[in-house]
Amino acid sequence: MRRRKTLLGMVPLESPLYQFHPLTRMIGLVVLAVLPLFVLMPEANLVFLAALFVLFAYARVDISRLRIYLPLMVTVAFFMFAITVLAPDRRPDDIRLQVLGVTVYYQPLMRTFASYIRIMAMLFATIFYFSTNHERDMLVALRAARVPFAVSYVLGLSIRSAAMFLEDLTTVRQAEQARGLDDSGLSIKDKLKMYGLYLIPLFTMSLRRADEISNALFARGYTISGRTITGGPRPDYVLSQYRFRARDAVASGALIVLFVGVAALGWRYGAFQLADSPLNRWLAGALQP
Amino acid sequence: MAAVVIRDLHWRYENAREPALRGCDLEVEEGAFLGIIGPNEAGKTTLVSCIKGLIPHSAHGVYQGSVRVFGGEVRQKTALQLAAEVGMVFADPEAQFTAMTVEEELLLGAENMGLPLPLIAERLAWVSELTGIADLLQKSPYDISGGQKQRVAIASVLAMQPRILILDEPTSMIDPLGKRQVFEILRRLRTETSLTLIVVEHNIEDLAPLADRLAVVAEGRVARVGTPREILEDTGFLGALGLAAPEVTELFARLRADGLHNGAVPLALDEAVAEGRALLAGARGAP
Repeated sequence: MRRRKTLLGMVPLESPLYQFHPLTRMIGLVVLAVLPLFVLMPEANLVFLAALFVLFAYARVDISRLRIYLPLMVTVAFFMFAITVLAPDRRPDDIRLQVLGVTVYYQPLMRTFASYIRIMAMLFATIFYFSTNHERDMLVALRAARVPFAVSYVLGLSIRSAAMFLEDLTTVRQAEQARGLDDSGLSIKDKLKMYGLYLIPLFTMSLRRADEISNALFARGYTISGRTITGGPRPDYVLSQYRFRARDAVASGALIVLFVGVAALGWRYGAFQLADSPLNRWLAGALQP
Repeated sequence: MAAVVIRDLHWRYENAREPALRGCDLEVEEGAFLGIIGPNEAGKTTLVSCIKGLIPHSAHGVYQGSVRVFGGEVRQKTALQLAAEVGMVFADPEAQFTAMTVEEELLLGAENMGLPLPLIAERLAWVSELTGIADLLQKSPYDISGGQKQRVAIASVLAMQPRILILDEPTSMIDPLGKRQVFEILRRLRTETSLTLIVVEHNIEDLAPLADRLAVVAEGRVARVGTPREILEDTGFLGALGLAAPEVTELFARLRADGLHNGAVPLALDEAVAEGRALLAGARGAP
């Protein structure tokens, strides 16, 4: 599978998703990433996650690369469940259980489980977007949504700056290693101290880069107001290469209807809540003493 | 017509003890190729920054004297006016990138100028062909080689079609192949366009054959201006400033000083080969 590197990861070189305008894809991000906020029922969010994985396959994303998010998933789970076990948000009628000699409560655990699945649904919806859109798509989507050029440009610079900051950090670390620093034997306290010292060269480098970028923008006649030398509006060549077609209108409309429908059902009518979960009802019944 | 006229220019950076420029005078004719050489910290970059208007528009300090570009005082011009008249390529190509893809990098200046879309498309095609980067347009400017980065930087300025193009040590951070490619672009610009070119460069051997004139900057002043031959033949003057003429020029200057050569001093390898052949042929024919 041929892929293209972006500042934020990899995207497939070819994907059926690319037939849609970047704005449609960004509407997809907003809808899919926000939708789980209205849903706590774990079954619904698991179906949503399964549908997302079908979308990953449809969009020709290399699913094996999603392994890199495994440590993140495990870490989030560890902290969420550890807090629930150690400091549960307990109510008097919660079902008390003994697991390996530790007292836990069913309802807080179930709520944590449902929240975890919800967070994963939101996380993978976001990962899906960044796995199928490169930086240019994001900027085109913002400009198509009439976001001022200065705002989209600053956003682009910020994305770039994040990558440059990491690059600078690597440079500083490699320079220290080249001079014999071996941090593998350092205590956590010393490592923290060392990272604190990294801030000095990183701050200096950031200032220098900010100065250079400012000069580069001046050299290219950039003005924050977006004023051009002719006094007319700023043309957007990249945006002009994209067309918002009928299929985009249909897809965007369907996404918005889906969003409004789920939001209305969840918010106004209390659908998709934990109390509606068959799994929750079955487990609560089975564990009731 | 003079493209650039600098008169008695002084500049001292804020918080600096010594001025960077101490009374510079320089004229550059429209369409000419001026090479600027000089030792480190001589004031070369400061001088061209004054032509571009980065000084005083983007720097703080004490400014005296006059820099006129096509008759207008640089201090009175806006960033947009200066962008249309003077383009500048910096030594570190990466430092001038602000966009996500090479294509957007090339478009930024042309869009800032408010050019119509068909003209932007035309310029995009022209600069991509001229600098040989057509296959890089969709790539990130950070994921290409040093030489390619500098070609992108040059292309992004050329897309604005300024009347003056300044290149500040464009080959100082790239490999030998990248250097050759940059000088090839300069050669094409010299022959195919009417651009006024101002190039600050340490690589005198490659610069001299292209330049109409060389300006030597030392200790914040324009110490001498002349044709490359006039400047490079005076190897003593260059040596006193810590500069070295091309080795072939040095060789023939010494031969001439020793009375073994009385022809022109070559500036480049090809010229030296021709002079050397003539010298050897003369020696064989001698009694």
